[in-house]
Amino acid sequence: MGYTIPIGPYHSSLEEPVYAKLYTEGELIKDAEVHIGYNHRGVEKLTTQKNFIQTIALVERVCGICSHSHAFAYCLGIESITGMEVPKRGQYIRVITAELERLHSHFLWLGLAAHLIGFESVFMYAFNAREKVMDALEALSGNRVNYGMNIIGGARRDIDSGQKEKLLSMLDELHDANKTLKNIFVNDKTVAMRTKGVGIISREDAMKLGIVGPHMRASGIEYDVRANDPYSSYEDFDFKVIVHPDGDVFSRVVVRVLENDESIKIIKQALEKLPEGKINLGVKMPRVPEGEFVSRIEAPRGQLVYHIVTDGGPTNYRVSIHVPTFRNAASIPHMLKGSYVADAGLIVACIDPCFSCLDR
Amino acid sequence: MHKADFNDIDKSMILQVARKMKSNSCPLAAIVGYVDKEGKPVVAYSYDVNGDVKTYKCTGEKKVPSLTNIYGTAAEWFEEEISELMDVEFEGLVNKGRLFLPEEFDGSGQIIVSPLSELTGKK
Repeated sequence: MGYTIPIGPYHSSLEEPVYAKLYTEGELIKDAEVHIGYNHRGVEKLTTQKNFIQTIALVERVCGICSHSHAFAYCLGIESITGMEVPKRGQYIRVITAELERLHSHFLWLGLAAHLIGFESVFMYAFNAREKVMDALEALSGNRVNYGMNIIGGARRDIDSGQKEKLLSMLDELHDANKTLKNIFVNDKTVAMRTKGVGIISREDAMKLGIVGPHMRASGIEYDVRANDPYSSYEDFDFKVIVHPDGDVFSRVVVRVLENDESIKIIKQALEKLPEGKINLGVKMPRVPEGEFVSRIEAPRGQLVYHIVTDGGPTNYRVSIHVPTFRNAASIPHMLKGSYVADAGLIVACIDPCFSCLDR
Repeated sequence: MHKADFNDIDKSMILQVARKMKSNSCPLAAIVGYVDKEGKPVVAYSYDVNGDVKTYKCTGEKKVPSLTNIYGTAAEWFEEEISELMDVEFEGLVNKGRLFLPEEFDGSGQIIVSPLSELTGKK
């Protein structure tokens, strides 16, 4: 006998509002639908009312996890339209902040994955590691969430030698914490039993679904904007694009835990090679001419695309934001079909969704 | 980082460009809609061409062909978003119901609607 199970839009298992309908037959999900839009704040429309400096603060608030990524992508777009060349030191500081953000996002997700698997001690362990990153971000920027590290033309705050030393020692601690997590997630039998073969997306299906980020790389596609279309000096750093071929929840865990090591590697290189000089082009901003640019970066959850149109006036003409969850959430019904109802929570969570980002 | 690469195309070229991009294994980066200064709808298709972003813009068309037969689900949500928020129809896009909020949702009781004029302090 078939039942339709509604989940959401407001449900105890959801941290953000979204509405999913599961069409089931016994324990199996036969079909699924996802509806979004419950957290729409009109950010894109608001950008047309704000000047370019005000917009940085606005887009940072699209998401609480990847706030730096939004401001980063927006500033890159405006700098391209204006023809500004950000000083190398400023570019490195942006990369350091972006990789710290990726670390705290991945640790957060690994903790939540452990929680959903029922492995509460690992949840606590992952969140303990994340706290170290949050402390580092607070020390660098003064904030735990919206860092305000970007201005048009560079970085807002510099990194001094004391901060550099503290960051490097924190990264050593984090490397050890990630080693323990890696050992648990890759080798633990319970984790494997709960995640292997669940929510599979093959390489071919991943191409058709248009998924991005770690979710895509876990289906065997080697693509990372940082490597394929380097921005902000990413070409200066040596790092691997982590790929896993199986396309299941286990692969997504492995990709993220291994990406943590790569982020640590990038930050260490950036700190060691941090060039001398200015961090930005100053607070006096040139007039933004009429123009258009499609800016994109590799946010923690995947490719983040900003399509910016300016008309020579003091505000944005159009800012279109397409976040990784917009691409990855479309794959949820595909993964749910044929899965057990008991796995639905883990499958939805495995894309590392951010519905606030998605709804803008 | 890639340089800006924008090209204007007419409606008849949309599918041709998409097929060429697909056959060259170029992923779809985004489909974006907006209304230009003259009030004409613009649909901009951005593709990833070997790490660069190439954008094709179709202006002034209220009906454009859907890319879902070529790019599958990768194009679906972009097209649904534009068709629900703008006066643009995608021919060939299978209507699976609304993307933003389900059909049966009437908005009562659960949603706070604040007019933009109120948010910006303009009367």
